[in-house]
This record gives sequence, C-alpha cells and structure tokens, in this order.
Amino acid sequence: MRLRREPDGSATLLVPEGIVSLNETAAAALALADGTRDDDDIAAELARHFDAPDGAIAEDVRTLLGDLAERGFLTR
Amino acid sequence: MTPAAPPRSLLCELTYRCNLQCPYCYNPLKLALNEPELTRAEWMRAIEEAIGLGVVQIGFSGGEPTLRAADLVALTKCATDRGAYTNLITQGTFLDDALLDALLDAGLAHVQISIQAPERELSATIAGTDVFEKKVETLRRVAGRDVALTLNCVLHRLNHDSLPDVLAFAEREGIARLELANVQFYGWAYRNRAALMPTREQVERGAALVAETSLRLRGKMDITYVLPDYFEELPKPCMHGWGQLALTLTPDGRILPCPAATSIETLVFPNVRTSTVRDAWYGSEAFNIYRGTAWMPEPCRSCERREIDFGGCRCQAFLLTGDAAATDPACARSDRHELVVAYRDRDDSDTAWSPRRLDPALR
Repeated sequence: MRLRREPDGSATLLVPEGIVSLNETAAAALALADGTRDDDDIAAELARHFDAPDGAIAEDVRTLLGDLAERGFLTR
Repeated sequence: MTPAAPPRSLLCELTYRCNLQCPYCYNPLKLALNEPELTRAEWMRAIEEAIGLGVVQIGFSGGEPTLRAADLVALTKCATDRGAYTNLITQGTFLDDALLDALLDAGLAHVQISIQAPERELSATIAGTDVFEKKVETLRRVAGRDVALTLNCVLHRLNHDSLPDVLAFAEREGIARLELANVQFYGWAYRNRAALMPTREQVERGAALVAETSLRLRGKMDITYVLPDYFEELPKPCMHGWGQLALTLTPDGRILPCPAATSIETLVFPNVRTSTVRDAWYGSEAFNIYRGTAWMPEPCRSCERREIDFGGCRCQAFLLTGDAAATDPACARSDRHELVVAYRDRDDSDTAWSPRRLDPALR
C-alpha cells in the first residue's frame, strides 16, 4: 500500500492492482498510520489539526483503517 | 463530449510465451506474433511515456512475464523509480530466489500467483504440465518476503467442485488476499467455453461457500469472488468504460483499451512502434470509438445504467454478435440475450477442449 501525492495536490492510495482517491482527512489519517499510533491517537491528532470534535473523527478513522486492515492492506 | 481523462493503469504483456497450456487463457488464439516482441528499450520508452501521461499502476503479465526475467527487473525498476506501483502477474514456475531478490530490489510492490487447482493431479490436467509443487514453493517464498501477495485461481467447470479445497489450501498457506475469478470467455477460453462453462449449481454453491468463508476469516483473508456475467442479468462494467482508465500493451507493441480487445477484428490498434501513447489514448479511432455514451445503441442509450456499466463488454458483444457496438448480450435487456442463455443452459455433453499452444497456422 502506498500513499501518493498527485501533481494537483490530491491524494491517492495505491494498493495491489487498485487506485483509491482519498479526501484530505483520509490522506492525513493514513499518513499518521505508521505503526506507532493507534486509532485513537490518530483521531486525536486529526481533531487537533482540523479543529474538529474528537468523536466525529474517531468513528471515520476506525472505519477507514478497519476497512483497509480487513482487506489485508494494513496491519494493526 | 468532454475530453478524455488521462490513463491511470497500464498492463504490459511482455510475451505471449508460456510453459503452461491452460485452456481458460484469455490470450488470443494466434499467439505467434507478426512482429518481434518489443525490446527492453521500447518497453521503457512506452512505460515512461505512460507514467508521464498519468499512469500510476503498472502490471506485468503475459503469457508468462518472468520468461523475460532480466527485462522484467529493469522495467520494474524503471516504473518504480518514476513513482508507479508495480504488480507482477505470474503463474510462478520461474520465480526463484535470485529473481525475487532482484525484483524486490527493483521495487516490486505486489505479486499475484495463480494456481489451476488445489492439488497436483487436477493442476497438471488443466495446465498440461506437472508444476503444482513448484508453485507452492514459489508461493511460500513470496509469502516470506516483504511484498504484497495475492493468490489467484480461475474457476471453471473442470475445477469448480474443488473450490472448498482451494479455500482450505489458501487458509493453510496463510494467504491474506485470494482472488477467485470465474472464467471470462475471450481468446482460448472462448474457444473452449463449452467445456469451461460452469453449471449454475457450481456458481451458486461457490458464491455461498465464499460468503460463508469470508465471514469466518474476516480480517485474516480477503476473498474476491468474481461472478461470471453469463449468470447475471446485468453486464459487467468492463474496464470502467472503454478508454477511461486503463490501457494494455501487447508483446508486439499494440496499444489496446482492454486486454481482450484484439478479439474485435474490425478495429485497427495503434502501435508504440509507430505512435506515441498520447496520440493512441487521446487521438486514435480505436480508443475514441466506444468512449463515453454517444456511440451507444438502444436500449443502452436511454438506460439509467449507461454510466454504471457502459453497455457492458465490447469484446463480448463482438464475439457473440459480430457487432462490437451492440449491447453486451450478457445484459437481460439486450435483444440478443438468448445467445447467452442458450449457452449457459445447454446440456453439458460437450466437454472437449484445446490446450493453449502456439500454432503458427492459426490466424
């Protein structure tokens, strides 16, 4: 799995034989998923960064990372 | 019409040569090339240009791509160095330690290894040669390394009943991604479709078993089960639309909108030896002819699904009706749907098949 910045600044996730376009929050979440942080750490950092309530982001982060882990693209 | 979006994905068919003879291969019947295979320098030029246009996913396939081992390593490095994600689609019989090391050094991101069956005897019957043990060895070699791995098994009537054993084999080997694709009928598979067409019972039993196994192995193994479109009432969204996302290069440099496009004998495809990839993608008749929705006949033209499945598969439309612009007969709304129904529901007494082989007499 590889996170990629396109020339226009948008983010793309490259997975085996697949291309996923990411929104800014998803891209930021994945950039933080480096093995040293758990879902809650990532959600908290994003909430700070985007100045949003913790709870709203936590659910999205869990769904995104859970989905990628289930497909075998991410180890938790 | 809005201008075409740039290509994102490129499949490089490095050679049509292969040491296996699988009757379900989608390669054309005519495996002998009129022109020599592209040289390494020609491949590099095409790959660099494609990446420059917007390609981020590159697959190396064939035939068996590892038959051009040194070129495969060089091209993997060329693509990786320019930021592309690289996939090797192989049957695994030549992927030894030295080649795997070299490919991983070159930046290879993903290996897809195919098996024909979950055991030696049936595997040899289908592949025409006894290579199952070799494949298992390769599978374990790749699984032990830091690279994404997918196990693939094409399902058809000859091996469908061994699906429970395919699943057990994958689980035993600790496979994280398993792709079970019911055979699609192009090239050799089209020639052999009488013998390969699964029964409805096989397809439905398979779907139920995969659903159950996916649930049980959730988080451990991701299983894709590709339904055969002959058994569905709606066509597949082939290539996400003609000339929308992907292109394929054949071993002799033809630039195709889809890996099976040489089936369409009425089209002339541009070649990287005489055209740039840019001109082929944006300017050639072969890429523009079925782009968008303006070319569609009824019932596609006014169908609410026209931007979902794009009228289905152009190659299948041509193979079944002789007209590549026809609605894909796999669609229940096609006035030629009976062609698919007749084939799907026929009696299964016809079981002869031809092994894939290079025969210069074929045109």
